[in-house]
Amino acid sequence: MSILLSVENLSIAFGGLKAVDDLTFEMNHGEIYGIIGPNGAGKTTAFNCITQFYKPNAGKILFDSKKNGVMDLVGLKPHQVIGHGLVRTFQNVELISSLSVIDNLLVGAHIAFKSTLPEQIFRLPRARREEKQLRERAMEVLEMLDLTHIAHMPATMQPYGYQKKLELGRTLMMSPKLIILDEPAAGLNEVETEGLINIVQSVAKDLNCGILLIEHDMNFVSKLCNRICAISFGKRLAIGTPDEIKAHPDVREAYLGKSDEGGDVDG
Amino acid sequence: MNKVFGTIKKTQPYLGFLILGGILSLAPALVANTQWFLFAWLTIFAGFVVYSIASLGMNILMGYGGLASLGTAGFMGLGAYLTMVLTVDLGLSFFPVLILTILATTVLGILVGLISLRVEGFFLAIATLVIAEMLRQVFQQMPLLGGHAGRTMPAFPTISIFGIAEWTLNRNQTYIMLVIFLVIAMFVTQLLFKSATGRALSAMRGSESAAAAMGISIFRGRLLAFALASGFAGAAGSLFMFFMPFTNPNHWNLVLSLFIFAVVVIGGVRSVAGTVLGAFIVFAVPQLFIARLPIIGDISGMDFVFTGVLIIVVVLFYPAGLVYMPISIKNGITKLINKRKKGGETA
Amino acid sequence: MSIFVQILFNSLEAGGIYALATLGVILIFRTSSAFNYAQGVISMFCAFIAANFLHSTGMNVWVATIFGLFSALLVGIFIDRVVISRTINLHSVSKQIITLGLVIVFLGLAPMFFGVDPMTYPRFAHGAVTVAGANITHGAIINISIGIMVVAILFFVIQKTKWGLAVRATASNGLVARLMGIPTPVVTMGAWAIAAALGTLAAVMRAPDTMVNLVMMDSIQITALLACVLGGLGTFHGPVIAAYLISLGRALVAFYISPTWSEAIIYILILLVLMFAPNGIFGKKVLKKV
Repeated sequence: MSILLSVENLSIAFGGLKAVDDLTFEMNHGEIYGIIGPNGAGKTTAFNCITQFYKPNAGKILFDSKKNGVMDLVGLKPHQVIGHGLVRTFQNVELISSLSVIDNLLVGAHIAFKSTLPEQIFRLPRARREEKQLRERAMEVLEMLDLTHIAHMPATMQPYGYQKKLELGRTLMMSPKLIILDEPAAGLNEVETEGLINIVQSVAKDLNCGILLIEHDMNFVSKLCNRICAISFGKRLAIGTPDEIKAHPDVREAYLGKSDEGGDVDG
Repeated sequence: MNKVFGTIKKTQPYLGFLILGGILSLAPALVANTQWFLFAWLTIFAGFVVYSIASLGMNILMGYGGLASLGTAGFMGLGAYLTMVLTVDLGLSFFPVLILTILATTVLGILVGLISLRVEGFFLAIATLVIAEMLRQVFQQMPLLGGHAGRTMPAFPTISIFGIAEWTLNRNQTYIMLVIFLVIAMFVTQLLFKSATGRALSAMRGSESAAAAMGISIFRGRLLAFALASGFAGAAGSLFMFFMPFTNPNHWNLVLSLFIFAVVVIGGVRSVAGTVLGAFIVFAVPQLFIARLPIIGDISGMDFVFTGVLIIVVVLFYPAGLVYMPISIKNGITKLINKRKKGGETA
Repeated sequence: MSIFVQILFNSLEAGGIYALATLGVILIFRTSSAFNYAQGVISMFCAFIAANFLHSTGMNVWVATIFGLFSALLVGIFIDRVVISRTINLHSVSKQIITLGLVIVFLGLAPMFFGVDPMTYPRFAHGAVTVAGANITHGAIINISIGIMVVAILFFVIQKTKWGLAVRATASNGLVARLMGIPTPVVTMGAWAIAAALGTLAAVMRAPDTMVNLVMMDSIQITALLACVLGGLGTFHGPVIAAYLISLGRALVAFYISPTWSEAIIYILILLVLMFAPNGIFGKKVLKKV
């Protein structure tokens, strides 16, 4: 397996606080990779650095781009990242309230639209063709997520579980090589979580798409991820398989404080 | 806003736009054949039509760009003055003048946007305020433009087809042409809202982060929205000039910009019909109705207080705009009936 | 030399007027998280009150000014109680829209109460002195002193007193301030009252030159907004310094380049500066949370 994403010595500081400190890890094509850590460990900040929402102070983010082969993402604008095959979700589901479910998916295909504004306004052939093709693509995605029945309903009026799925679906519109999920299972019940695990696994397998995710729920991460990187206070604690991570003393301490008691790590 | 809809309906408002255009076109006939539709009202209606066009641009900017401009009057003024200069001093006919004017105002809009949109979103409001003041100074100082007194051009446009055929419209025909342009502007706005670009603009306004993650450039989106708003304002200014046909610097002041802003707030952001409704409330209701009321109508400043209070009330109690009122009243009644029914069953 | 001294004094006087208006705008921005576009028209309205009082009672200009300031406090409180206090949970854009609504309301109220004719307003003092060859009026000296003194007193209050602490706490985080027992509604109300008074003071200082009229505060309001952005929205002192700088810049441009276009040129310069320092010259970078 070849390397899809390699984060090297990533650091970012806000004022004096080092939110991410010399973080290094790498993941392969099609791998499901987890980042865990206590609250405030810098997980989301690391994601924001990878997707260029924040500009890291130091470090490289090497990514096997759709367009250019292996390249450093640092310095791109946030909106340029998706074109290289990397797309993300957000901790607080960020759907567009004024749009329907299917239109939200179409927003995910924004960069696939090549027609110009006049072509779109006057509904010229190319714009109509694009719109039709991408709508079909969106319906396929909805079918896969089992959401076709709500296609034309307002997106943000849907139950939370649907919204989470929908946000994941939106990342699939551009056939990405890497999807970054920020706490995909947060707020979901057990049944929904099971469903999500199946979806993520099939996405990774069928589309050979890497998945990088942050999660608090250790069970969820253990079931899904091939490897996990545990961080605390912006620093890497350990990398390994879920079992190795669970057994790692530093991780246990970071999660549970000085507690010596056993039990599941599921903070 | 869509909370009021069970599902987002596949609305086809285009027929409604045509019907509205048809109704507005009846005004000249009413002037000719009825006592109550006064000759002067046609001017009020023409103003309402022209300001509706500028307000549609503002609605694109506010409803989709999530930005506000306080310089619409400046851009309209620029459109009006350019139209005068191109028509009188360069002798161009209607269509070339209109097209050049729209191009020029759009380009100026892009320039202003390039500077101010790189800063923060709210800065556009202040930058446009400043640009409009500067434009007004230009209108006042350039002798070509007539200075403080302003300048007049021959009334009503001359349409020329490649110099082969040429005819000049009369007052009624010009008015109907304005209505036609309003309908075109409504179509363009609605089609834009429903296009991929419209979706991208919605996304940008709904969640900048999500939009950026999906590959939408916030900067380009805002710039586009502002360019369109400027172009619409320029077109409105140009059409104003062809009908009125007089312009002076003081007409294009901050108050007019605020009124156009009020149109969108009161009528309803992201609604083409709401914009026209808002324009009617702000630009026609005070002159047509309030000014004719006994006592109240004689108090100067009444129209301002009416519009200003309406903005505040709408923002406080009806933030989506008045156009959504019927739906929520309907929902309210349905709710009430359901409650009654339930109450009846349990009792 | 004498010309330069003249320019310096002129811009100090105008700068003081801008600084007072700016302080009002930034005070409300920090406590209500919205630009108050209506400050100019509120001040204009209160300047009309002062001018009417002066003309109808024949009292001297100081009494009229104090009367005007007092009415401004009341108008500020009234606006806060009736409108602004209901907007606490609204988005800052909605609040700004409401202040734009207020602009229109006051532009209607002023002619309703006071008619459309401009009114004269006398200077605080007559006579002049010569400083280093420059002719400085007593009125200008008083205006300059008022500007500096009021700004200094307000800074002292904001930085050193418990009321100032309440204002700063509300400014930095309204919710936390409320949880800590600071009565933020009272702070906001106070801010609106003080801001209205500051604007009105600026208006009566400007009035002798322009007369009291509907548009007298337009350019002051625009300058105040620009000064806020130019000085950075994170501090109280940044915008005030920017207000003086803008005034100086305008006077210099007017003298050395073009009096007609000085305003336009200075606006363009400010826009250009902001392109390179988007958070203002004294501002800090704010990171948006994703």
